[in-house]
Amino acid sequence: MAGRRHVAFETAHASVPIVYFAGTILLALFALQPVYVALSLAGALAYSLACRGLRATALKLRWQLPMLAIVALANPLFSAQGTTLVLQLGFVRVYAESLAFGLTMGALLAASVLWFENAAATVSSESVLSLLGARMPVVSTMVVMVSQLVPQLMRRSRTVGGALDACTAARTPAAAPHVRAARLSGVLMSWAMEDSLERSDAMRARAWGASERRTTWRRQEFRARDAALLACVLGLIALNALLVALAMQAWWFYPTMAELGWWWGYVPYAALVLLPCALATYDEMSWRSLS
Amino acid sequence: MTNANTTAASAARQTPAALSFEGVSFAYPAPEGASDAAAARPVLDGCDLSVPEGAFCLLVGDTGSGKTTLLRLAKPEIAPAGSLDGRVLACGRDVRELDGRASAETVGYVFQNPDSQIVCDTVWHEMAFGLENLAVPEPQMRRRVAEVSYFFGMEPWFSRPTAELSGGQRQVLALAATLAMRPRVLLLDEPTSMLDPIAEKSFASLLQRVNLELGVTVVVATHAPAPLAPFATMAVEVGEGAVRPVEVSALERRGRLADVAREDDAKPADGPRAADARASVRLRDVWWRYGREEPWVLRGCDLDVSAGEVRAIVGGNASGKSSLLSAVAQISRPQRGRVEVADAACQALLPQSPKALLTAESVEEELMEWSRAVGYARGDVLAAMGELGLAEGLLASHPYDLSGGQQQLVALAKVLLTRPRLLLLDEPTKGLDDAARAAVARAVSRVADSGATVLLVTHDLEFVRVCATSVSMIFDGKVISTEPTPEFFETSWLWGVSR
Repeated sequence: MAGRRHVAFETAHASVPIVYFAGTILLALFALQPVYVALSLAGALAYSLACRGLRATALKLRWQLPMLAIVALANPLFSAQGTTLVLQLGFVRVYAESLAFGLTMGALLAASVLWFENAAATVSSESVLSLLGARMPVVSTMVVMVSQLVPQLMRRSRTVGGALDACTAARTPAAAPHVRAARLSGVLMSWAMEDSLERSDAMRARAWGASERRTTWRRQEFRARDAALLACVLGLIALNALLVALAMQAWWFYPTMAELGWWWGYVPYAALVLLPCALATYDEMSWRSLS
Repeated sequence: MTNANTTAASAARQTPAALSFEGVSFAYPAPEGASDAAAARPVLDGCDLSVPEGAFCLLVGDTGSGKTTLLRLAKPEIAPAGSLDGRVLACGRDVRELDGRASAETVGYVFQNPDSQIVCDTVWHEMAFGLENLAVPEPQMRRRVAEVSYFFGMEPWFSRPTAELSGGQRQVLALAATLAMRPRVLLLDEPTSMLDPIAEKSFASLLQRVNLELGVTVVVATHAPAPLAPFATMAVEVGEGAVRPVEVSALERRGRLADVAREDDAKPADGPRAADARASVRLRDVWWRYGREEPWVLRGCDLDVSAGEVRAIVGGNASGKSSLLSAVAQISRPQRGRVEVADAACQALLPQSPKALLTAESVEEELMEWSRAVGYARGDVLAAMGELGLAEGLLASHPYDLSGGQQQLVALAKVLLTRPRLLLLDEPTKGLDDAARAAVARAVSRVADSGATVLLVTHDLEFVRVCATSVSMIFDGKVISTEPTPEFFETSWLWGVSR
């Protein structure tokens, strides 16, 4: 892939990154506490920089930073809670606690979006489907076909639209936008139906449904190393889930914010969120030492 | 039975037949409301054919002659609905008695369209698809896929998404995925009609290797047998419900258009056709690419076409031919440079996929769609259909019930009926048999005789020779030469010698 950088878990079985990202995203969504949110955001950003580079990350942040600002500023306007008054605009009272809540929430949202994007950059749909394929062949075949259908429809709609634009006879008063849209969808629909008939023939010609049982080609085997890695990831997620629950009990925004101090419990979370960046960096370093 | 049939039958007795049709008659069910006479008319009537093991057999015949029907009858999973008499045997067993597994391991089938026969998202998954369906154990599956991939040299693109492959690669993939199931007989229906000549030739030589090195019996239905003929060991012609043997050597000469077109006086006179000097299309320093990050497709392209000219644009795949046509049609705006089209207010484009133009429920509605906007009547529609060799009986058919070649002709008729001053054609002869190609050549010449300009992009150099007045060659995103057609062929090293 052009411009592709170092991706974590590349040589691991697909289940490892899938479990990692599922767990990390869930924790990131629940840990509404400033230190956790800051760590999660830092980890997500660090990995985004490592696997997608500065330019792609900056492009994403262009949308996420305004979102963060909007959530941070809007929260005090809608929820006038807290005790430390920062400023008063007419009837609207802005409290420091409410501002802090908004800021934390905004950062949490931004971090979660980044984590989702990181997951998409690391785990291909192919590997998700390969896990699914063994259990549900019909569903996974359908998902594969639909995922191919959408880009094909887009390409064809451009072809059909272009052909209509290029024929001056089609530019009649009757060719109003809604008529054109109906026509376009009509062409695409019959075209797709025609294809599907042929594709189902092609599937039957290759023994689709010929046998009750179906085997699955796994491109990657689940080896002892994957099991060890998966156990580490699961252990780290479980430990952090416990610690997040503890930390959330010791933290509140309202009416006054609880105090934040140094706690050893942050270390496993930092380890969890920085893991993909560390793996990607290690990969990059080992390449440099090779060349 | 003819002499040749008798010889074929005795040859079949010596070596066991891989595929044989014994007195096969087939008729499609009559559409509702059709007369009994129409219902009784069979597509195939008492056909006998025996293809010995290890043969490379060509089934030739015009579009709609029943080649596909004959081929599909040997694969019950995809056989058409209708009444069948007689027997179809594959490796000595009636195909209708084979279960799914036996059928897949006896007869493989490759379809025409490289787009719609691919099921999976990646090459490796597509290769495994049939084996997964047969519940082949994983180690055996790996072995079979590996061997076929090695045979076709597919390793470099084994991990790629199928959507990113070229048409030629997709067709090779369809062939490889079918062969992974190790069938003893391979049936192919017009496998190369959607490919450019270079992809077609490499596909043909792959088929020969499959036949010779793997010992698979190959049966190909095609209306353009010339590229496959050098590899064939036998050939039969399907037509008027019957099957009769033809000489393979006679097929190598098919595809030539010159004689057909000359008879009808379609060959343009030497030199430019009554061309007034009026410029019709003018491109200056046109640069174009799909997106900001993509490479340039047109890189400083210039083009001048005068009114009344039939200009052919030739060049390899991805040389920028279709992009140039889009720029002239003003579908895509160049990022740099100027496009001036004198007749932009009265132009028409035949796109590479005719389906892009077909929307109506019947051919008649389809062809009458623009009648009010342009001002033509039903009589003009009939005349246009007659000119392109489309039977009047097709008027009531749904465009999607027509063959690919007929769809192409209907789309062309629709475009011709608008009487454009600038006619743009993208691969107008794709998927057409020789008779239809000759008809298209005549129709295009007539458009130019009326003073309109024709710009056509094609891989069909024989068609260019009989109908274009001048040829521009495009390479590396630029027009690198423009010459009158006779000069182009005289000076061409590649196409000059093949005349």
